[in-house]
Amino acid sequence: MLQATSLSVRLPAGEALRGVDLSLAPGERVGVVGESGSGKSMLGLALMGMTPASARLSGRLTLDGRDMTRARERDWRALRARRIAMIFQEPMAALNPLRRVGTTVMEPLRVRLGLTRAEAGARALALFNEVGLPDPADRLRQYPHELSGGQRQRALIALALACDPAILVADEPTTALDAEVAARIVDLLVRLSRDRGMALVFISHDLAAVARATERLVVLYGGDVVERGEVGAVLADPRHPYTRGLIAARPRPAPRAPGAPRPRLAAIPGSVPPLADLPAGCRFAGRCPVERPECAARRPAPRPTPHGLAACHLLEEGAP
Amino acid sequence: MLLFLLRRTVGFLATLLAISVIVFAVMNLLPGDPALTVLGIDSTEDARAALRAQMGLDRPAAERFLAWIGGALVGDFGTSWSFGVPVAGLIAERLPLTLSLAASGMVVTLVVALALGMAAAANHRRPGDWAMMLLSQLGIAVPAFWLAILLVLLFAVTLRWLPPGGFPGWGEPAAAASSLILPTISLALVQSAVLARVTRSAALEAMRLDFVRTARATGLSPARILWRHVLPNALAPIVTIVGMQFAGVVTGAIVIENVFYLPGLGRLIFQSIANRDLITVQALVLMFAAIVVAANFLVDVAYVLIDPRLKARAT
Amino acid sequence: MSRPPANLLLGGALVALAALAALVSLVWTPFPHAALDVANKFAPPSAEHWLGTDQLGRDLVSQLMVGAANSLAVALAAVALGGGLGTALGLAASAMGGWVEDLAMRICDLGFAFPALLFAIMLAAAFGPSLANAALAIAFINVPVFARVARGAANQVWVREFVLAGRAAGRSRLALTLDHIVPNVAAAVIVQATIEFAVAILAEAALSYLGLGAQPPSPSWGRMLAEAQTLLWIEPMLAIWPGLAIVVTVLGFGLMGDGLRDLADPRLVRER
Repeated sequence: MLQATSLSVRLPAGEALRGVDLSLAPGERVGVVGESGSGKSMLGLALMGMTPASARLSGRLTLDGRDMTRARERDWRALRARRIAMIFQEPMAALNPLRRVGTTVMEPLRVRLGLTRAEAGARALALFNEVGLPDPADRLRQYPHELSGGQRQRALIALALACDPAILVADEPTTALDAEVAARIVDLLVRLSRDRGMALVFISHDLAAVARATERLVVLYGGDVVERGEVGAVLADPRHPYTRGLIAARPRPAPRAPGAPRPRLAAIPGSVPPLADLPAGCRFAGRCPVERPECAARRPAPRPTPHGLAACHLLEEGAP
Repeated sequence: MLLFLLRRTVGFLATLLAISVIVFAVMNLLPGDPALTVLGIDSTEDARAALRAQMGLDRPAAERFLAWIGGALVGDFGTSWSFGVPVAGLIAERLPLTLSLAASGMVVTLVVALALGMAAAANHRRPGDWAMMLLSQLGIAVPAFWLAILLVLLFAVTLRWLPPGGFPGWGEPAAAASSLILPTISLALVQSAVLARVTRSAALEAMRLDFVRTARATGLSPARILWRHVLPNALAPIVTIVGMQFAGVVTGAIVIENVFYLPGLGRLIFQSIANRDLITVQALVLMFAAIVVAANFLVDVAYVLIDPRLKARAT
Repeated sequence: MSRPPANLLLGGALVALAALAALVSLVWTPFPHAALDVANKFAPPSAEHWLGTDQLGRDLVSQLMVGAANSLAVALAAVALGGGLGTALGLAASAMGGWVEDLAMRICDLGFAFPALLFAIMLAAAFGPSLANAALAIAFINVPVFARVARGAANQVWVREFVLAGRAAGRSRLALTLDHIVPNVAAAVIVQATIEFAVAILAEAALSYLGLGAQPPSPSWGRMLAEAQTLLWIEPMLAIWPGLAIVVTVLGFGLMGDGLRDLADPRLVRER
């Protein structure tokens, strides 16, 4: 249904995505993980045709078999919300503060689907019910600042679902929420995906949320896919040093002695360098704990692993 | 909300009172003898004293102020020294013209400025944007009365399409309207240069907000996003400037009426200055200042109507 | 530091042009500006009269030059007086804080209710019209503008560490204001002054046009336009040159103000 083949996005500052492959079947749930700066948000925007005006796309991106790589804005506009929809990280900022949330949700129903005010109102009410907003009729009349964080995210999900999209891209949908609310939003997304047969691209740096939400996993670093595979297997047995680092960096509250300091979040030293400073070879060179001399210069090809693919020189044949 | 309105209204009235004190003080307490200015240096002291008594100038200032402001409250601004008729009547006669000019000037300003400003923001960093910025930079530097003269030169002297000035009276609506066209344009173009810039930068600011991305992701058209989502969120600074510009348009109308010989309040004020008719000038200045303050009061209230978040806080 | 911004250079050049004309007019003009030569009225531009003569045969260039001097003098006086008073008021309000600050700012709000024109009208009605009264009226409306700018900038400095340290060391507010606050608000005040120069020149032109500014025979761009307006059917160029002079000067100060602001606050350059 959605197929990205060797998709690259070049910004004036450098290459934000480099040859990303991603395919999505109806109802499938894929997680995209990586630190900030790894290119995962750019991937989400690219799937929506919403990369910045200065970005140049290469490779191939098809949606329902149509090549969208060089599609114009008006062609993209016809697909957005109806075929592919997106929700964003900061639910407060993502809602127009001057409008009642009901008005916001009804807008695409009326403008895109041509429903009357009454029809749109009824649909919005049903959507609010579906996303589990309590007292949906009252919620419709409220302004964003009158809702809680979780309720706002639910309202945004309702907005994204308004035109029955086949694919939902969720960019860090739980980051701005506290853990308990986040878990419920993840469960909601999984349920909606199942009930509607809607594919889900779940972008997050939170491995626990991704494990809970998705079936397959794509690990991005510096615009490269460094590892991919079935989510549980990859997390249990990571093959790329970056994936290992991410898993090690995961905050685990359980094995912490009382009074002991919270484990440092970043077990990988440093952060993703700016686009212009990325090494030409393996993007992870420079931060990699098992780096070898050739890594920075030569780009590793994806190699099969027991549960998918990983791109690391250490996995190449003949490597020690 | 009610409490907020009440507080603002009290503040508004207090400001009006303070303004009336200032106007009265400047016109009455500063050194100078109105009788002398009216009658001239050749007048005798007796004649001046008689005139002062007739004007009530021999009474203490505080008493005169209270009498003046008390009268103003019931619409009595005294009798014009030069016309010999009630000042209120003079004002009522000329107010419709000035208000029509100010209102049409403001409407044209808003339409031109919003269209240009939003178009420039939508074409940010493209030629249209640069052209608007250049044009508005120039527009800000052009005095409204010079623009008026240039318009007269083009449309009245050279092309002979429109009258160069004068006003036929409201009895001839078509002729009256056509005699307001050039004054309106002169008044509006310069103001809209300022407002267009403010609109542009406020819109650029609002376009960076996340919900604009949400609206795009919903597949809404750029025009819809611009006018229905960006503009309302850019309104606060625009409304602030519009409030200030209303003051500019009203005082601008004083100048423009004189360029086009329109018999409004602006002409009246200058006739009164020429005639040393202090009591009329005093009433008119108070009125204009009151209009300016009222515009700012309305802006304060408008903020709350625009933004539901403020409404919650205002209660 | 990198190259000064283009708008600063262009604005500076335009302002320099006006200032040069004004300064030269103090010692020399092609003709005495008020010299009548009725036989030679409405003369076209020539080697002798560069822009021709007016309805009384007066040389236009000479009048424009003296007009520049009048215009800039009024603007300078108005901005210096109003800006000085306003800045002092703003600094004092910021230093005193509390109810004094509140009261000062309330009084400034009142000032905003009087556009320059209204104030000039009051002064003209009470004392008769003159260039000095026009300058006074423009100065008056500058007071609240500068008071706000100075107070806003000063309030940001009062909470900085080096000022807090000075307060802890027991230094007086006056000494701290002179040592630390003034240098730190100077940039904001200078930028505002440049912009207010443009506003003052526009205001002077409008007041003189209305007869509330320069009185005959003293030439002023605004009054030249008022006279030219009655002659539009005979010699339209008389209404062009003084207007251009105003636009050039106001544009110059406006661009210069923008350029200075860009220099003072580089963060604003990107989006404005």
